[in-house]
Amino acid sequence: MRQEATLVFDQQLYEAQVLQKAAYRAMNSLTVDIACADGKFSCVLSSNIGVEEHSFLLAVQEFKKDVIDYQLRHQLNTETLPIKNLILGLAFSKTGLISE
Amino acid sequence: MSKFRKLDFYAQQRPYELLPFKFDRLNDCEYVITNMAGEYHVLPMPILEPLISRTLPLTSELIPTLRSKQFIRFPEEEAPLQLLALKIRTRLSRLAQFTNLHIFVVTLRCDHSCPYCQVSRQSESRDEFDMTSEMADRSLDFVFMSPNPAIKIEFQGGEPLLNFEMVKYVVLEAEKRNLKEGRDLQFVIATTLSLLTDEMLVFCKQHRIVLSSSLDGPVNLHNANRPRPGRDSHQRFEEGLTKARAALGYDQVSALMTTTDKSLPHVRAIIDEYLRLGFDGIFLRTLSPYGFAIKTKKFLSYDTERWLDFYKEGLEYIIKLNKSGIRFVEQYSSLVLAKMLTSTDPGFVDLMNPAGAGIAAIVFNYDGSVYASDESRMLAEMGDHTFRLGNILEQSYEEIILSDQLLDALEDSFTLSSPMCSDCAFEPFCGSEPVYHHAMHKDLVGRKPESSFCKRNMAIFKHLIELMENDEGTKRIFMGWANRC
Repeated sequence: MRQEATLVFDQQLYEAQVLQKAAYRAMNSLTVDIACADGKFSCVLSSNIGVEEHSFLLAVQEFKKDVIDYQLRHQLNTETLPIKNLILGLAFSKTGLISE
Repeated sequence: MSKFRKLDFYAQQRPYELLPFKFDRLNDCEYVITNMAGEYHVLPMPILEPLISRTLPLTSELIPTLRSKQFIRFPEEEAPLQLLALKIRTRLSRLAQFTNLHIFVVTLRCDHSCPYCQVSRQSESRDEFDMTSEMADRSLDFVFMSPNPAIKIEFQGGEPLLNFEMVKYVVLEAEKRNLKEGRDLQFVIATTLSLLTDEMLVFCKQHRIVLSSSLDGPVNLHNANRPRPGRDSHQRFEEGLTKARAALGYDQVSALMTTTDKSLPHVRAIIDEYLRLGFDGIFLRTLSPYGFAIKTKKFLSYDTERWLDFYKEGLEYIIKLNKSGIRFVEQYSSLVLAKMLTSTDPGFVDLMNPAGAGIAAIVFNYDGSVYASDESRMLAEMGDHTFRLGNILEQSYEEIILSDQLLDALEDSFTLSSPMCSDCAFEPFCGSEPVYHHAMHKDLVGRKPESSFCKRNMAIFKHLIELMENDEGTKRIFMGWANRC
């Protein structure tokens, strides 16, 4: 039997990309329809064919944890992107592949 | 009055800054974090958020460790940036040297008829599946175009000993060309040893050719997995091994095993057989989805979870052996551990990013076709020519190496821009494997949540880290595996 759960996330607290990434990661167990209205993201989670109730509930729990993880990754990536580019620049400026 | 300032003077007053890192849940109470160069650290779950929000107290015992592993730095510090850049450059240095491994498929003929065979072998008598000298010459032209100072030529089949004349031709011709080239030239024959003769061994000895063979386990298992007329594959392997070691040297013959459904309950017996025959390690390999493995549905005979149980049981036994004083290595783990615990990349094609296809290894097929990897030609034998880069008789080195088939596969599968991989803490240890994902998902990237490659490797990475975290003795053993000479 197909199972469904709806989760709501505040747009001020979460990025759309974060929900999309968590949805991608969960695709082996469930699919996610994401919509936004009135400052909220609504995520409708539907079990894949053949996924039992217990496995679906675990996947929903996993999805919630992944949303929090991806939001934290987003914060970390935003803060460290300039220095990441600097380090890559340093690494590839001294390869010796291009003659002076 | 003391000449020295008090310790308080040196204490950092300003908050730390974050350096780029990635994280993933290791289990229900810990995260793994990895820096840009692939060094890892395990954090208790409640620590991660304060670390990223920069509210971790400067007095925390974690601060010196996180700083020494370049997860954080103090303002104005430049050394962590230089160190990370140096480690990244070291890790990727293999790329600049380009192709090392050149595989010559000298024949598709084989005396075995293994149901899991990945290369769609042909019967012994069909010599239309043999490489010609014209193709060998053109392939050697290609080999010496590679800028790599070390060149390895590996003969594969089928059973390459069925076309040993071509093996001899390529070796002699390559050595002649190498008088001018001066490369570090190595030869390997991948063989079951079943057709090995004394004359062949004399040639191998003269030209320092190494043998890479196959052993699936004890007699019954090996013979069931590797049928041949006479049902004597294991006996022939053992006789060949003894002769080859005597002629070439004890460490000049290696063996690989493949896990079939019949192997699954017998991991200890398989390891014991390797020990009995004097090997110092084993590569616990899963079946690949190519060739006869697909036709005979062998590939579907067990799932990733079952293979992981097999692998974990085997690894546990191997660790126990090492703790009892018997030095023995699980080779896939040692490749992963080298990536986890050192700044070098062992160059194992499956675990490379960008993918190793074409740029770490390349295949010259018996019919002149050039493939991006061994798996690519296996796919081609099944009728899928996606990774056929060209024909050695028709295209130049530049046309083949710069072909869209190769460059698109490398670019599209690059893990740092692949969904899920780009955020994955285990990405520095992993590989992109476009050929596998194309074979399974008809897509170079594949859908990682559904990928058994991703599932298997993530489980292995987590398992190895947990073993090291839980036991200092195991960590010491693993450090030895990672830093093998």
